[in-house]
Amino acid sequence: MTGPHGVGIGWRPEIAGFVAELPGLRFVEVVAETVPIAGPPPAGLVELRERGVTVVPHGVRLSLGGAEPVEPARVAHLATVAELLAAPLVSEHIAFVRAGGLEAGHLLPLPRTREAVDVVCANVARTQAELPVPIALEPIAALFDWPDDELDEAAFLGEILERTGALLLLDIANVHANARNRGTDPLALLDRLPLDRVAYLHVAGGAEHGGFYHDTHTDPVNREVLELLGELCARHRPPAALLERDGHYPPAAELRTELDAVADACGFPVVT
Amino acid sequence: MTDLAADFDTWGIPSRTFLVFYLVATVVLVIGALVHRRSLLSGRTAPPADQLGPQQVAYLNGGEDLAVWSSLSSLRSQGAIGVQTTGALTAEGPLPAGVTPLDRAVHHAASQHHSARQLRQTEWVARALTELREGLDRHGLLVGSDRRAALRLGPLLLAALLALGVARIAAGLANGRPVWYLVFILCGLAAVTTVLFVWVPRRTRAADLAIRRLRQRNHHLAPASNPAHAVYGSAGLAMAVALYGTATIWALDPTFAEQAEIQRKAMTPGGATTSSCGGGSTAGASGGSDGGGGGGGCGGGGCGG
Repeated sequence: MTGPHGVGIGWRPEIAGFVAELPGLRFVEVVAETVPIAGPPPAGLVELRERGVTVVPHGVRLSLGGAEPVEPARVAHLATVAELLAAPLVSEHIAFVRAGGLEAGHLLPLPRTREAVDVVCANVARTQAELPVPIALEPIAALFDWPDDELDEAAFLGEILERTGALLLLDIANVHANARNRGTDPLALLDRLPLDRVAYLHVAGGAEHGGFYHDTHTDPVNREVLELLGELCARHRPPAALLERDGHYPPAAELRTELDAVADACGFPVVT
Repeated sequence: MTDLAADFDTWGIPSRTFLVFYLVATVVLVIGALVHRRSLLSGRTAPPADQLGPQQVAYLNGGEDLAVWSSLSSLRSQGAIGVQTTGALTAEGPLPAGVTPLDRAVHHAASQHHSARQLRQTEWVARALTELREGLDRHGLLVGSDRRAALRLGPLLLAALLALGVARIAAGLANGRPVWYLVFILCGLAAVTTVLFVWVPRRTRAADLAIRRLRQRNHHLAPASNPAHAVYGSAGLAMAVALYGTATIWALDPTFAEQAEIQRKAMTPGGATTSSCGGGSTAGASGGSDGGGGGGGCGGGGCGG
């Protein structure tokens, strides 16, 4: 059970054949909710595990930021998937996806208040109690801030990580998106984050629409995100960086170029 | 008494002796025919599965139609084939590099505005299909006419033995001798002979194995995986059609599939095909559910993780 190392890619059934043929790949991530716990995991993932590739289950529906306690069945599912794939850690978002019985279908941002910190920490603690492995928490991209924010992003994250002992899953495209959409300096945020707690990075593509940068996961990774990635790795290089692509897949050659660009920005060996 | 009985032995051979010899001959010939058949159908000379091209796989898996669909979908995805609202195909631009003789024939037939259904009957495509079939036969993957004739040798010998048995029964009945044991053996022999004569597979065991291997290796191309064909390119699409049928073309390029009147054909692992809307609607349903899963969690406009 080694933690994620080097350049990885988000494993999706749609591109499983492409991922399977990356010769240097040591690490992938799978959306935990898509892995069935009755019966064997998808064949593509089993083959990667047999090759010694680390598979990290990435939850998207736990709703750690929800006002109600995390649902035990969802935590149990995440824990089982981690065991099935012999994962060294799992990851989830600092966000809520449902409230009052309504499913948002999206990751929604929390107000950065002390109360929200308490809510997240309580849910993370409930989750950690059931998980066989550590959890890494990922802050999300949001187009807006809540008016009642008491903490800034760095203080909010720092407090949660400090109190839960969780690792950080930092999405460099989200850092870019949040700074770009608010006119703030992304490097100032990087300088205040506990970079030594980063388990791995997310790198994804996005697009500009109506004066905002949208974290689409369906567009190529833009140059500014890669530059920011380089800046981050120059400060303190995390053990791994993972390319996320969730749709509008390009030809294989373009995906390989993106993976090489991530490797190049971080100084990791190429996996293609 | 004994002498009298001997005089009544049909053809001068006692019933018991004939029965024993006949039974031994039957067992030996049936085993011989089965061993011969097994060796003819093994396809020992076949190349490894990963050396087979998509059109060869399509031919083995679904015959001439599927080979043509595989070629057509590959050319279409490279922009080399178009279709008019009348269903007539058109050739768009030059042939892509590295095409097969079948691709060249399909492209030529398209330039003559044949419809997709007529392709097989055109002179060029028919010739390319014959070449493809003969190549597969030579490689020990397909059961061609020579192999088919050789396969009938065993059943023919069994039929000769069967004829001998019938003659003996006729003579025995004329002599008023009991023939029931022989009738019993003959029934079994007749059944085995008929099955071996009629049941001649299309392809060898090597071909069955190759297709199983390729399905395992390419499960990411199955319609249920909702494959991103942009990533896998035209070769991946040609292999997807070869292994899983035309449901892939319907899912990927429904306008073309409809205008070109491409038959919906989903290949099942057993080698059987289901034609009709089944393939298309299955592909559509799985695509929808996969898209929903991904989009709901991660692909969100403003708040992706």
